[in-house]
Amino acid sequence: MRNMALLIALFGSAMASPMLYSQSAAAQGAAVASGAGMKSAAGAQVPDLSRNWGPGGKTVNNWFPDDPRGQHPEKAPMTPWAEAKFKTAHPPFGADATFEAINDPVQNYCDPPGVSRIYLYPWEFKFIQTPDTVYILYEYTKMWRAIPLNKEHSKDPDSTWLGESVGKYDGDALVIDTIGFNDKTWLDHLGHPHSEALHLIERFRRIDNKTLELQMTVDDPKAYTKTFTGTKTFKASDSPLGEGICSMSESQEFQKRVIDLSTTGKSQK
Amino acid sequence: MKLSLLACVLAIALLPSAAPSYAHHGTAGYDMEKVITVKGKVTEFDWVNPHCVIYVDAKDDNGDVQHWALELGAPQHMIRSGWSKNSIKVGDDIAAETHPAKNGAPVGTTGMQSSVLKVIVNGVPLTTK
Repeated sequence: MRNMALLIALFGSAMASPMLYSQSAAAQGAAVASGAGMKSAAGAQVPDLSRNWGPGGKTVNNWFPDDPRGQHPEKAPMTPWAEAKFKTAHPPFGADATFEAINDPVQNYCDPPGVSRIYLYPWEFKFIQTPDTVYILYEYTKMWRAIPLNKEHSKDPDSTWLGESVGKYDGDALVIDTIGFNDKTWLDHLGHPHSEALHLIERFRRIDNKTLELQMTVDDPKAYTKTFTGTKTFKASDSPLGEGICSMSESQEFQKRVIDLSTTGKSQK
Repeated sequence: MKLSLLACVLAIALLPSAAPSYAHHGTAGYDMEKVITVKGKVTEFDWVNPHCVIYVDAKDDNGDVQHWALELGAPQHMIRSGWSKNSIKVGDDIAAETHPAKNGAPVGTTGMQSSVLKVIVNGVPLTTK
């Protein structure tokens, strides 16, 4: 239902706006290929990100720049508050991982992966740029975000799974600033926590025709002793977005028939 | 070695350049340093999230049937690897490489995304992009 509402909103926006940027279909296709030529309603040139992006760069499992693969997750600059939470996390990844201990909220409960973690999964996402809003459609869990452009944050946003995002273009980059998170998600695949004070800045830019770079800046003074910025790249994709829905019933069936075999030696079916 | 119940135990050290498989539940339960080949008849082929699964009845050296579960990627990842829901059918003869469970149970991971291991169906290798 929510997805249908989004599609209707997107379609309506596309039909009603002076969009995009007043290009012919052919010109727009060329712009997508080259990553150039898009202009805002006010006539300013903006980076063209409107296509699908998927895995293709180096493996990144967390956003700490000194250890992007997460081989030493305990060395992250955590505060005592975060260290205590981190010790209770049992992620599916890492040298000490076991199937029995996993308490990953995404895997165990199909919770939303959260804004910083969603990019670490090997699934695709797509930007849809309109003059006043950028939409990001994520293949994994069919999650989507609407990021209003050139707006201020509210004074006291609610705490939510995806937070409150505002965006702007800065030269060749799209910059998304997000606050107002709940503290139920993990920052990454290794179980690093965050607090409701989390402030994320996503900076997207095309570093060539086929490559998108994301710089993720994490600022959370309750959880980390310093701000840090990790980088991940994505490859342009022509594959349509598929169905990456997380269903509890399907996950439980898989757990019973496959995973339990490798932990107890017995399948429950 | 118990795993000798199957026709082939290859125990191949993976090349360092091999892309690590991704499973949303990790690979902690599997011996990713080892590859064995499971041969038998397909009893089910589940084409669902979070992972596709091939179920195989394989005979051991004594002629006893053991029921294997071979985990793959999510349907969308398998589609991008060149597979479809019709790539494997119930009753097919299959020879599938897999990383077996560490505990010796008849379960393994046969690969995700671009790192799907070799699967031969009715004598014909499945093409993986």
